[in-house]
Amino acid sequence: MTVDHQLSVTELTAGYGGTPILQGLNLDLLPGQITAIVGANACGKSTLLRVMSRLLRPDAGQVTLDGGSIHRMPTRALARVLGLLPQSPVAPEGITVADLVSRGRHPHQGLVSRWRRTDDEAVAAALDATRMSDLADRSVDELSGGQRQRAWIAMALAQDTDLLMLDEPTTFLDVSHQIELLDLLCDLNARRGTTIVMVLHDLNLAARYADHLVALRHGQLLVQGPPEDVLVERTVHQVFGLTSRIVTDPVSGRPMMLPIGRHRTRAESP
Amino acid sequence: MTSTTIGILQRGRRLRRGWRRAMIGGLLALLAVCFLLALMLGQSVTPPADVLRVLLGGDVAGASFTVGQLRLPRAVISILAGMCFGMGGAAFQVMLRNPLASPDIIGISAGASAAAVFAIVFLSLDGASVSGIAIAAGLGVALLIYALSFKGGVAGSRLILVGIGISAMIHSFIAYALARAPAWDLQEAMRWLTGSVNGARLDQAGLLLLVLLVLGGLLLARSRDLEMLRMGDDVASALGVRVGMTRMTVILGAVGLIAVATATTGPIAFTAFLSGPIAARVVGSHGSVLVPAALVGALLVLTGDYAGQFLLPGRYPVGVVTGALGAPFLIFLIIRANRTGGTL
Ligand SMILES: Nc1ncnc2c1ncn2[C@@H]1O[C@H](COP(=O)(O)OP(=O)(O)OP(=O)(O)O)[C@@H](O)[C@H]1O
Ligand SMILES: [Mg+2]
Repeated sequence: MTVDHQLSVTELTAGYGGTPILQGLNLDLLPGQITAIVGANACGKSTLLRVMSRLLRPDAGQVTLDGGSIHRMPTRALARVLGLLPQSPVAPEGITVADLVSRGRHPHQGLVSRWRRTDDEAVAAALDATRMSDLADRSVDELSGGQRQRAWIAMALAQDTDLLMLDEPTTFLDVSHQIELLDLLCDLNARRGTTIVMVLHDLNLAARYADHLVALRHGQLLVQGPPEDVLVERTVHQVFGLTSRIVTDPVSGRPMMLPIGRHRTRAESP
Repeated sequence: MTSTTIGILQRGRRLRRGWRRAMIGGLLALLAVCFLLALMLGQSVTPPADVLRVLLGGDVAGASFTVGQLRLPRAVISILAGMCFGMGGAAFQVMLRNPLASPDIIGISAGASAAAVFAIVFLSLDGASVSGIAIAAGLGVALLIYALSFKGGVAGSRLILVGIGISAMIHSFIAYALARAPAWDLQEAMRWLTGSVNGARLDQAGLLLLVLLVLGGLLLARSRDLEMLRMGDDVASALGVRVGMTRMTVILGAVGLIAVATATTGPIAFTAFLSGPIAARVVGSHGSVLVPAALVGALLVLTGDYAGQFLLPGRYPVGVVTGALGAPFLIFLIIRANRTGGTL
């Protein structure tokens, strides 16, 4: 089991070039739990992840890890505790899968220290977990979108952090690989107590796999809590402007959202 | 299961590392051969034994002057300047993730060249002080481009376009300064416009060697972080790289290398631009490209100078030859960017 790290966001205002995207946001991440951030396009989900992983400086407020501001912590030390997979990373030209995943070990290596056995083990475990071992020597340029996404996830896994943030990790993945990835993250959470924060667009998968949902609207936190409290018709309407019906997922017992559009509803057909 | 994967990883790494070492060794050997040939060949052929005796300080009738005074300084300065250009150029290309972001395209070499011309024509300086002014100007241009293209982060293509504009402006200044100096001959003018080792002297080697050791060493010490920048700023910084600091160090080191070499030989056209991509083709993209790029740079200048002197009808400075090589590659990159719908 890992140490539980407490990441907190207080009165956070952040944005790009003076225009605030996030405003007055407060959030405590639950240690050892899986949190999913949901919200409409452009509401600031990626921005929130970027601030929480100190890629973006807040204009006001702060982000603290175990009480200390993350923007004042040594970058390398922080990268051993907190990992982030951005939304659409671009791999260097010609790099192989093995090389890409190996780079996840960067924060664990000293300025002079050599590659060690533990590094190899972490990389191999990450490749196995994402079923990428057979593609280890392939060039990332020559992979399909889903394979590429898995290579990046393997890189984030190889970093071996107690806190892992993923921005839409399921994009490009087919349905079975989506489930496989989410199961993998659950395993990681259960076995090592890794705190996981991810942005997910699929509300039903979010409700099924996350312990805690955070709904953002226009850069502000609308509601947070267990899926049962967050995934309700009123919230779906407030966040997405969408009418829906919430039922109980017969598989997981968690709430499940059925969107109601203008067409293809029972009322419409004769 | 994990152990088989570890096996795959180790085998792959051994293969790539072996290939890389072999290729770097090959480049080194090629460079040594070219160096020897450059000392042997010319208007007349000097046998290797005589070359060796001259190198060891012996006095050989007929060879001491041609080898010791004419060929040796040229070859040594070609190699050292080529290394500076190759390494400095590759560092920029890696840092900005774009082969077009080379100092000779975005105006940094031009800035150093203009400053050198200015220092020589208008201030009547020479030697290390010219280099100092060239470094200052190179850094000035680099920071200017950086500032002009900075908009909540540095976008490669914006920086390249700004750099090309600045480069054009600086070239017109060089032409103006050369026009104001009636005492200069064509040779000298060519040196500051396209680069040449015609006036090479052995006493210029010390300074080049010094910056190669100090600034080249600085770049090599940061090469792992530099290599991480290829993953993009966000990923690099999530993996614990201090992006801003790394970038500043790399700019400082690379501009220093380029500027000192430029103050010595002029901006040898496209050497900085070509070396990195050629080196990456040769050694593969495993590990840092800095050392192979330095070797390729040295080879380009050394062979380019020989070709310009003896292989072409008439005699041309090395910059004309490397320029002729670089231009098609530049066009190729632009066409490829167009085809793939990518940015510059
Ligand atoms: N680098 C940037 N510079 C300027 N504005 C940006 C930048 N990145 C994002 N924005 C703006 O910030 C707002 C929030 O973007 P963000 O990427 O956080 O949205 P998101 O919730 O992740 O959306 P999506 O679901 O589409 O990924 C958007 O209006 C976007 O245009
Ligand atoms: Mg996003």
